Formats: sequence, structure tokens, C-alpha cells
Amino acid sequence: MGVDKKIKKFLRDAIRVAPKISNKGELFELRNGLVSQYPQTRKDAIRKIIQQMTSGKDVSSLFPDVLKNIATQDIEQKKLVYLYVANYAETHPELCILVVNTFVSDAADPNPLIRSMAIRTMSMIRVDKILEYIEIPLRKTLVDDNPYVRRTAVLCVAKLFQLNPDLCRELGVLNDLQDALSDDNPMVVANALAALHEINELDPGSIDIKKLVSQNVKRFLNVLNECTEWARITILESLSEHKPIDPMESQEIIDRVVPHLQHVNPSVVLISVKCILIHLPNLNTVHDSIYNKLSTALVSLMSTPVEIQYVALRNIRIILDAFPNLLRKELRIFYVKFNDPLYVKIEKLDILLRLVPVDNLKHCQMLFNELKEYAKDFDHEFVTKAIQSISQLAIKVSNGGEDTNNKFLNMVMEEFVSIVQEREEFRDILMRCVCDMLRYDSDNNLIKETSKNELGAIISSWQDIDTIFTSDLGSCNYIWFITNYTNENLETKLEPLVEVFDELGSLTQMSLLMGVVKCHNAVSSAFLQKILELCTTDVHDLDVRDMAMMYWRCLSIDNGDQIINQLFDKHEIPKLHSTLDHFSKETLQSLLQELSTLSSVYFKPISQMQRRPNEVHIIKDKDIDELKGMATNEILKNMNDDVLLDMGDSSATRSTGVLDELNDLFDITGDMGKVNISQKTNNNNNNTSNSHATDLLDLM
Amino acid sequence: MGNFFSSMFDRLLGAEKELRILILGLDGAGKTTILYRLQIGEVITTKPTIGFNVETLNYKNLKLNVWDLGGQTSIRPYWRCYYANTAAVIFVVDSTDKDRMNIASKELHLMLQEEELQDSALLVFANKQDQPGALSASEVSKELNLAELKDRSWSIVASSAIKGEGITEGLDWLIDVIKEEQM
Ligand SMILES: Nc1nc2c(ncn2[C@@H]2O[C@H](COP(=O)(O)OP(=O)(O)O)[C@@H](O)[C@H]2O)c(=O)[nH]1
Ligand SMILES: [Mg+2]
Repeated sequence: MGVDKKIKKFLRDAIRVAPKISNKGELFELRNGLVSQYPQTRKDAIRKIIQQMTSGKDVSSLFPDVLKNIATQDIEQKKLVYLYVANYAETHPELCILVVNTFVSDAADPNPLIRSMAIRTMSMIRVDKILEYIEIPLRKTLVDDNPYVRRTAVLCVAKLFQLNPDLCRELGVLNDLQDALSDDNPMVVANALAALHEINELDPGSIDIKKLVSQNVKRFLNVLNECTEWARITILESLSEHKPIDPMESQEIIDRVVPHLQHVNPSVVLISVKCILIHLPNLNTVHDSIYNKLSTALVSLMSTPVEIQYVALRNIRIILDAFPNLLRKELRIFYVKFNDPLYVKIEKLDILLRLVPVDNLKHCQMLFNELKEYAKDFDHEFVTKAIQSISQLAIKVSNGGEDTNNKFLNMVMEEFVSIVQEREEFRDILMRCVCDMLRYDSDNNLIKETSKNELGAIISSWQDIDTIFTSDLGSCNYIWFITNYTNENLETKLEPLVEVFDELGSLTQMSLLMGVVKCHNAVSSAFLQKILELCTTDVHDLDVRDMAMMYWRCLSIDNGDQIINQLFDKHEIPKLHSTLDHFSKETLQSLLQELSTLSSVYFKPISQMQRRPNEVHIIKDKDIDELKGMATNEILKNMNDDVLLDMGDSSATRSTGVLDELNDLFDITGDMGKVNISQKTNNNNNNTSNSHATDLLDLM
Repeated sequence: MGNFFSSMFDRLLGAEKELRILILGLDGAGKTTILYRLQIGEVITTKPTIGFNVETLNYKNLKLNVWDLGGQTSIRPYWRCYYANTAAVIFVVDSTDKDRMNIASKELHLMLQEEELQDSALLVFANKQDQPGALSASEVSKELNLAELKDRSWSIVASSAIKGEGITEGLDWLIDVIKEEQM
């Protein structure tokens, strides 16, 4: 019998040695490789499988055979198998039972890399069978001798919390996390902090993060210097959110954070700026030097890649609203470079206007010359912004500056007189700018009559006014100008617009109404009547209609004329001081707190980005009948809710994608960046497995 | 093709071929204890094996790849994932667990029917002989209907993993058979 078997065996081996063309295909061959009696053959097969996996092929059917190779002394092979398991575990939950033992024993392996890899992988596989056995390895690694293992383990607590918060509470590992804040190793401290933040975000009630931070401020400040960039960001972020107990503490924080303003990583710089700015108002005395240092730091952000510059510029825009003293002397750095992308150029213009010191006419003049150059560019949007900036500059200088005889304002006005003639394609913005300046000047009459007359002549000569404007704002300002600064032939000039009345934007309609009513003595009563009729019947905007009704009534009473004149008396109209927009106090406060996050780029606090549940408050103002109607609508809507919810979800997913992409700008490096991201995609199941894969790759 | 070449290289370079040995049996029979008794020569405290352990050991100039698979009912169905290229099966029986002898027997015969295991030798350990009331090797052999086995080299050895008795004897027999039949 023995001989029999030997022959059989020999024959089989002989056949194997011959290169056989398998008709069962590649998977079959790979499987043979995986169960080979030769270690190198197995490893080669695994390599090949991972290659296929990463190129998107489904090699999940090899799961059990790949799994067998997880127990090996060869670290590289182990990593590959871990990668594979992490990727497919959720599609093969039943087979995961086979891997538990290896995870558990790897978490006690002599090699710290393997211990970390094991606990890390275990904590991110969304399979109950695995989580069921996580307790012992997790506890062990949380108190591991090796700091690398500990710092991995603390992050795992956050991951586990995401998968199964109840289990986390049951195991009491949240306490371990809090203990980890007093670890000797800075990375462990930072990771523990990050994990706590993440848990707090997932379930705000579960830990008292504020208290934890305030108890550990000193520790954080101590480890700050020894941390990686990513860990610094985490700590600085926490310190920014921390409410100091007294000015002393703020001072201490600022003192310790200042050195980080010089970091090479722009994220660290920006977050340091934020941390200091937030604590600055708490100080009793602030030295000028701190402003200089902050300015230098912000300037350093202007020598980064353009995308980061853009983020920096958006943040600077917010910062300047709250701290106008910053960057005072740094005007030049924000001058536009010819190769800046448009989005950077536009932001720079905005910053330039805010920065330009109105008490230094020389600088204003320089900026004016610069802006005139920009206005010669070929990019329409940039030129538009440049033209607008010129008028904003003029108003800013005239309003607050030392230019007592208003040379500057008039110089700019003269410039506009010539641009208006030369650059017809920019009529819309030019009308708006000219009118802004005139409105600003309405009270003081600083602008020379000659300029106004010249403008009047040019603008009156324009033909086809129903087509030459491309925006509501353009034609609305045109009407304002015509009705305020020219008196002849009003009807003929306005007639083309009246003819297309129902195509006009509501601003233009309103402007037409007000202009004609104001000049009611200069137009025929038939024309006036026509406008009033149009505005009370053919409009979509209720404000226009109400306004028209009101004027109509005024005009039809005895002393109507007087009332109208009074209404349009320019001294009654609030004066325009600045054409630069500012954030409201509350928005600014939130944005400062959210500097260097996405909201700073959108200029929109996080609270405004989410769908707010306080729509209910609106109902208070409605009366009972309306409420009844709303209730009926609500019920009807709920019947369709399934569909609505689906739609909501898909769009939410899409926007998280964009958020994540942009987030990369902030989380420049570090493995935790990935954790943040995977946390954000956690409702997006397609993504989770991918992010697991990247997580693991990180380890390698 | 890649696999083919790398195995060629393995052979050419004289890379050692590993002999794959499976330790199977119901949960609590002493499989893990036996594996580590072989590997480190000591008794370790075990927990139920959720999945598998695998250790490589050098024994009489051979490189053995010894797999200890979990024996719980929920894991047994996956034993078959491990059958490919198996030189021998060590089946461990808790000789005191009379109630489950029939289950052990059923699992054993079910397993031996597998195509992939037709050429594997079988060693049965009638384990826990140190315990009072343990069935003897021949009693266990009867319970397991080993006599029915045809066309297979098999042997049953009385053992105590705790005391370290019978283990090497069993393995020696197994290695001899493998050497003779498969190499
Ligand atoms: N008395 C005795 N106990 C044993 C013997 N072999 C294993 N055990 C014990 O039986 C239990 C189960 O052993 P284990 O190796 O985990 O069994 P497995 O489930 O087959 O892997 C453990 O408590 C062992 O200490 C033996 O020969 N004698
Ligand atoms: Mg076991």
C-alpha cells in the first residue's frame, strides 16, 4: 500500500512540475499558491492578490486561504494579509471568526509593530464576532510598554466607540483614555486627546471634554514641543477651545504657543495664530510685539502653494475683521502676482483694500496705481473685482483718511469717467461703482460738478439700454443715475426698459419705480401712471408692489407732492460710509473660533452649515389658520418622507466628499488625519473599507 | 505562472518543503495544549481557540507546519478550508468526555471522507489519560470505530498533554509514516 501511495504522489508532483495551463483561471492558481508547502510561493501569491485587490478586482473568494497565511514570522507578509483582512472582513463576517485567535495573539506579540497592527485592525472591523473579543487585547495594548502601541491603542478606543459605543462604555475604556492624557509620551497624550474629541463629537454627552482639557492645560503646553505636527494641531485646537480660568493662564498659553508661529507646516502656523488670537482678548495688557509676530506668521503663509495661500487668505480676511491692527505694514505681500490663480487674486484684492492704511496717502496712491494695472487684465472677473476695488478704495480714503481736500476721491472719479468710455464691457460694475461713490458723496458734494456732468453726458448717450446690461445691479444703478443726475428726456431714456418691464430683475423694477416717482414732475402723468400700474400688477416681488401702492396713495392725496419730496430728500437717506462688507458680530465670533477649518473657507460657521432644527420658531409668528395649513402640509410631507430622506442622504454624502477633500488641506499629515476623515465618512459605507485600507497602509 | 516559477525556485534553491499537519478534535480536547507542548515543551494556559493557531517546528530534520484549529461547533465547518496539502491529521479526543464520543467519531469520519485528505496519515491521541475514569486507548478506538478505516495509515496513542506522556511517541510514529509514504 505504501508503495502505491508513493507512486501516486510522485506522479502528481511530476504533473505539478510541468507548466500546466490551468483552465480554472487565475483565482485557482492563486489559491494553489496560497496553500503551497513552500513559504515563498505562498508569499508571492499573497503579493499578487493584494495587487489585484488594490487595482479593484474582487479577490474576496480567497478569504479563507489568505487568512491562513496571517500567522507568520514574516512581517511583510503579515502586513499584507492584515490589509486583505481589513478590506474584506465586512463582506465575510462569518469567516472573521477564524481570525480572532490570531488577532488576539498578535496583540501580545513581542514585536510592537505587530501588536499595534493587530489592535488597530481589530478596532476597525465592523464585525461583532471580532469586537466581542477585543477587550483583552485592547486593555493590554492600552497599557503596553511601548508608546507606539499605546498611541495606537488610544485611537482604537475612538474607532471602537464609533462602531459600538455601548461596548466602549461597558469595557470602561473611556476612563483609560482619560488616564492616557497623563501619559509620559507626547504622542500618546495627543492621540488620547484626539480620540476624546472624536468621541465627544460622536456623542456629546459621553465625556466632559472641556473639563478634561482644562485639567490638563499645563501638560498639553509641556508636550507641545515634542509632538509631531499633527499632534500639535490637535493640542493647539483644544487649547483654542479652552476657556481660561484667568488672564494668567491665557498669557501662559500665548507664551508657549508663540514659538510655533514659526513652524514650517502652514497648518501648525494657522492654528497657532488662532490659538493666540482667541486668548489675546483675555490679557490685561498686550504688547505690540505679539501683533508683529502674528503678522510675520501670516505673511509666511503667503509663500506656500497657492491652494494653501487661498485658505490662508480666507482666514486672514476673517482675522482682519476682528483684529484690524494686524498686517498693517505688509500691504505689498498681498499685491497680485501675474501667475496667481484667479481665486487667489480675488482674495488678495479683498485683503489689500482692508489693509491699506488710509492715513498714508502715498500707500493709497500706490495701491490705486496697482489696481489700475489690474483693471487692464484680460480676465473679466478679475477686472470687475479690480474696478470695484478702486471705488471701494476711494470711499475708504475719503471717509477715514487724511485726504482733507478730497483729491483722491476726485482723482478716482476722473479715472472712472475715462474707464466708462473705454471699457464698455464693464458697464455693469462701472455703473455700480460710480453710483456707490455718488451715493457716498450725496451729502457732502465733494465730487466735482464737471465730473458728474461728463459722466451724465456719456451715460445719457448710451443706446439699447435694455440689452447692454448683463445684471440686475447694472441696470438698477443705471436708472438711479439717470433719474438723479440727468433730467432731460427721462421718458425716452427709460422707455426701452419699461417695454421689457416683466423681464427686469426686481432691483431694476424697484429702481425704476423709485426713480420715476422721485422725478414725477419731470415725466408725463401718463408715464407715471403706466409705471405705477406695471408695478402694482406685473411684478413678482411683493416689496415692489407694496412700495408702488404706497407711492400711489401718497401721490393721490392733497399734499402728496410734499410727502414724496420729503421721502426722497437726500438728507433723509442714511449715508454710505463704506462699501467693504463685514461679518456680523456673532458670525465673526464663531468664525474666529473656527479658523483654519472649513467654515473659515466658506465664511460660514459650522452651525449654519447644518440643517438647523429651529425652523419651528418661525411658526410662532404665524396665525392659527396658517398653522392648521402647515400641519396638514406636514402630514402630507411625512407621507413622502422616505423619498425625501433618500434624496437628503445622497446629497449629504456628496458634500462630505467635498468636505473631505478640502479637509486634506488642513490635516496636512499624520495618521490621525485619516481617522478624522474616516469618521466623517462613517455613514458612507462604500468608503469605509477604502479608508481602512489606507489606515493600514499607513502603518506599513 | 508566477506561482509555478517561485515554486520552481524554491525547489532549485533547496528551500525546505514544509509538512502540513492539522490537529483537529472537539473543543476542550487538548489540541492547543498539545501544539504548545510540541512547540515549547511546556504546558500553557489555554483559552478556547476562536480560529486557529499555527506553529512551525523542526522535528527530526523536518519542518512541520502544525495547525491547531478551534473545535467549537461554530468553527468545525471551516476545518475543511485547511485540508489542502495536508500530510497528516492529529485527532485529539478527551478520553474522559464519554458523552461526546459519538460526536467526535462522527466528525472524524466526516473529515476523513474529504477528497483532499485521502493521502493523509491519521494519528489519534486518546488524551487526558492522567484523569481518573479516562477511557483507555483501545476503548476510545472502539468508540471512534477506527477499525473501519481502510486504505489509511492510522494509529491511536494514549496521551497526557499535561504530563507530556505519549505525545512524542505519537509524533514519532507519524513522522515515520510520512517519511515512508510521502517523501
Ligand atoms: N488533565 C488534563 N487536562 C488537559 C490535558 N490536555 C488538555 N487539558 C486541559 O483541557 C483544557 C482544554 O485544553 P485546550 O488545549 O485548550 O483544548 P482545545 O480546545 O482542544 O485546544 C485545558 O484546561 C487544558 O489544561 C490532559 O492531558 N490532561
Ligand atoms: Mg484550542
